[in-house]
Amino acid sequence: MTPLTGTNGEPLVSLVLTGRNDGYGGDFAGRFHRALRFNHRQLVSRGVPHEIVFVEWAPPREAPLLFDRVFDAVPDLDRRVCTWYVVDPQYQQALSLNPRVEYLEFFAKNVGIRRARGRFVLTTNCDVYMGRRVLDALTDGSLRPRVLYRAPRHDLDLPAETAIVDWDVLEDPGNLAGPAHVLKPPYMGSATGDFVLLDRESFHEIRGFNEVYRVARIGIDRNVLVKALSSGYAIEDIGGPVYHENHEGSYRLNPAAYAGREADAPWGDRRWHSSGVSYVNPPGWGLAPAPARQVVHGCWNIDFSWDAVPKMVDLRRVVLPVARHGRPHPGMYVKKH
Amino acid sequence: MKGLLIRLLAAMGLVPAGRYRALRRAMDEMKADAQSWRSKAHRAEARCEKLLAENKRQTQAAERTQQQAVDYNAMQERLTAAERDLVAAREQLMAVDVKLDILEGAANVLDVRTRAAITRQHSGTSASS
Repeated sequence: MTPLTGTNGEPLVSLVLTGRNDGYGGDFAGRFHRALRFNHRQLVSRGVPHEIVFVEWAPPREAPLLFDRVFDAVPDLDRRVCTWYVVDPQYQQALSLNPRVEYLEFFAKNVGIRRARGRFVLTTNCDVYMGRRVLDALTDGSLRPRVLYRAPRHDLDLPAETAIVDWDVLEDPGNLAGPAHVLKPPYMGSATGDFVLLDRESFHEIRGFNEVYRVARIGIDRNVLVKALSSGYAIEDIGGPVYHENHEGSYRLNPAAYAGREADAPWGDRRWHSSGVSYVNPPGWGLAPAPARQVVHGCWNIDFSWDAVPKMVDLRRVVLPVARHGRPHPGMYVKKH
Repeated sequence: MKGLLIRLLAAMGLVPAGRYRALRRAMDEMKADAQSWRSKAHRAEARCEKLLAENKRQTQAAERTQQQAVDYNAMQERLTAAERDLVAAREQLMAVDVKLDILEGAANVLDVRTRAAITRQHSGTSASS
């Protein structure tokens, strides 16, 4: 039996995930359940005290909640390690600075980070499987505070009939969809949204992902690396990959789909200066002032309140990154027009 | 006898013709030598003057190079400062660009909301009239 908490009463790691039952990328729920089953099983089998913090962001009214189905779909998922936050759709509307960006993914992740209890917080995605080295690092106690860990992503094309994913499937070179991502210093960027692991205290210190620039979804993950470097944290490769199940509609499969009309992209304009600026989120980051109402055990509704919505425009919170002694100078100017 | 005759001639300031010719040849050679040395001296003098001029030119060139090195160092410092300013300007430009994105996004969102509100207001007015 996996201990729910470590010796000091908190889980070692919180997995922060976000999603909603909108069929994103095809069979979203199926991909989510497969990855969740695998990751939970691996953590349990290695005895890693963990919690799963799921943020169901602005769920569509016409579809059932993911929460309502997940325990049937993943029967061995321990309810006691799951905390679910269902966020009122009004937040998406109230926060948006770009109607084409229909999912403020990193705002959603901040809701989870803010409420996570683990000593370390791993923000990842619903279709990402942890690799062996990631699990080793969680098991062997080698994780250090003030180090932001990154993992390269291996994209997989899984056969349509795949119901259960195990190591044989993940590590079959025949399933690899192209060359693996390579992490390059200093940022160690590339598919950053799929794996950011940092101690909770540091995550709180930097106040999560950028909530000031809500014009795009793309690049917000990279921007947290700039913030981390600027805050004096190290960025390190954890030493092994995570695996991602390819699906339709992902940026990875067709990054140039909106070339020449970047403003129309559902992820926003990828050319914004995510490597060149930093941010200071307001104290209420992660919708901290929002009223939370427990629906059932382990599931909370984050109700709408304007008190929790940060200013639409707060330009003082866009700042320049600091060049740390002995560290690379952050920032690279990319001409937009 | 020959020796006595030579001495007598010598006492009168005369020499035998052979001796005279030899002396004359020696004198001609010495004259030629003198002429040669004179022209060598002229050439040396000319070369010396040329070298002095060259020296002066080199000294001036060295002074110019020295001044150029000073100018170069100053320019290098100005270039470093300009590069620093350029990086700072680019950073500021990025920040401005990002802020403009936010302002533009906010303006667009407010525009949509305003249009929706006005449309609702109008349809409400039409319905009540």
